[in-house]
Amino acid sequence: MLDPLTRLRKALARQAVDRPPCICPGGMMNLVTRELMELSGHGWPAAHADPAAMAALAAAAHPAGCFENHGLPFCMTVEAEALGARVAMGDMGSEPRVTAYPLAGLDGWEDLPAFDPGSSRAGIVAEAVRRLARRDDGVPVIANLTGPLSLAGSLVEPMILYKALRRDPDRARAFIDRLSDHILAFGRTLLAAGADVVALSDPSGTGEILGPKLFAAYVLPAVNRIVRGLRQTRPQAGIIVHICGKMHTVFPLLSTIEADALSFDAVVSLKKARLHLPDTALMGNVSTFALESGRPEKVAALTRHSLTSGADIVAPACGMGNASPLANVRAMLATVRNHVPGAQDHARHPLA
Amino acid sequence: MNEREARLRQLSDSVVNMDDEGIVELSRNYIQAGHPALDGILGGLVDGMSRAGALYEEEEYFVSDLLLCSDAMYAGLGELTPHLPEEAKNARKPRAVIGVVEGDTHDIGKNLVKIMLETAGFEMHDLGRDVPVADFVAKAKEVEASLVCLSTLMTTTMTNMGRIVALLEQENLRDTVKVIIGGAPVSAAFARKIGADGYAGNAVEAVGMAKRLLGLETPVLA
Repeated sequence: MLDPLTRLRKALARQAVDRPPCICPGGMMNLVTRELMELSGHGWPAAHADPAAMAALAAAAHPAGCFENHGLPFCMTVEAEALGARVAMGDMGSEPRVTAYPLAGLDGWEDLPAFDPGSSRAGIVAEAVRRLARRDDGVPVIANLTGPLSLAGSLVEPMILYKALRRDPDRARAFIDRLSDHILAFGRTLLAAGADVVALSDPSGTGEILGPKLFAAYVLPAVNRIVRGLRQTRPQAGIIVHICGKMHTVFPLLSTIEADALSFDAVVSLKKARLHLPDTALMGNVSTFALESGRPEKVAALTRHSLTSGADIVAPACGMGNASPLANVRAMLATVRNHVPGAQDHARHPLA
Repeated sequence: MNEREARLRQLSDSVVNMDDEGIVELSRNYIQAGHPALDGILGGLVDGMSRAGALYEEEEYFVSDLLLCSDAMYAGLGELTPHLPEEAKNARKPRAVIGVVEGDTHDIGKNLVKIMLETAGFEMHDLGRDVPVADFVAKAKEVEASLVCLSTLMTTTMTNMGRIVALLEQENLRDTVKVIIGGAPVSAAFARKIGADGYAGNAVEAVGMAKRLLGLETPVLA
């Protein structure tokens, strides 16, 4: 039997594994529930700003029989806050969120404060990663980054941003490039702190919102700029990119994303994704609605569906609602553990 | 196509083509030619926005395109609305309250729904985002709304939608106020579960659903 870190590494590299890993990266792909807060003795909002609490909460899911990873941070506001966005830290039931933008328009982005990946909450996340890495417990530490369009939409009103992508492309591109470099710098810091895997989620940069032209013009180059930089820093690190929403308009473009794994929403058919992505590890995509409101049997059935549809890595389709019952989350992992890969399922998971 | 129809077509095309500068001139010329503002709005601007909505449904246009189209529509409205007769300006439109529920600040989808409902003739009261449960209910009461539109992009905050429906019930407003929900993590099943009247998958669907729920199959404009 493989330990969770080795299994995830192999799955990301699309090497043979005994069975797919079952993970939830954290960040936008929230893995924290109220029950896990109670079990760990650490909760929101304190855990967003304290490295010991963040590390403890990030590591709560694995011993509880939920996911085979540690994941942090628990929001998408760390980078934005470092760049001057005002952030409300939320409460036990709601995540930190941006409440005021530092920019009124795209002009003036050059005046944003310098991004220091070692200070403020960015430094707290890095310290929490260090603590988790020191455990050396065979469980992968997944550090999460906010995608470039989502970060841009946290610094300037998204309506203004989306219009500028069309009306002011040179300035928009320069802005997104700069943000991509900030995100990369933060990612490098987290890798240096000992993260095994980096997950990048860009819910504001979906094909559904942007359409294929803008997706190709902005999202692809920015994401690849970050992915390449991370690889250069640490070639053995795993890289996951999560893309929200429907994919059919951008499927043909996805194969140019240089990540190890692409993670999809519940609306995406992994079988269809495979047709466009023969060489990429596919991750997903158990409905978070079922995880929060369904019964364990329903979650198990959806998990089996992901497995038989060719998921290399089983994961929730999106961020989990934090009222999701432990019984449901455990049903996911239990189903994956008991899964015997059939020949018709996915040739990539022969019994080791 | 007569001269008036040609002008309406130009107004409509300018919305579809996202020409928020050209449309100002076209709108002025339309009024100067002596045509009624209401026709210009309905047959020109709103027609253009409806065509843009159809292109969005066909996935020819995307969210960013619709936003630019609406810029053009509002630029045209800025020229034409002052020329509406008083009774049209004061006509009672169906009122809707819209907002992103507390805990979430993603509001692109909400903004699009607002634009499309406004285009369809609703008087929109936009509470913005990260809106506390009680504020929706208070606003619906204050403006005597017949529709409340709730949006969230985050699984973590969708439970607040159920709380809003429950509070409307508690305040005995459920007979007079219809509730539509939307956003990536929610679904028709979730809408049924929390007792909302409907789920709309996008801004164009939201318009159709709002009209159906309120029995406004015919245009409700101005």
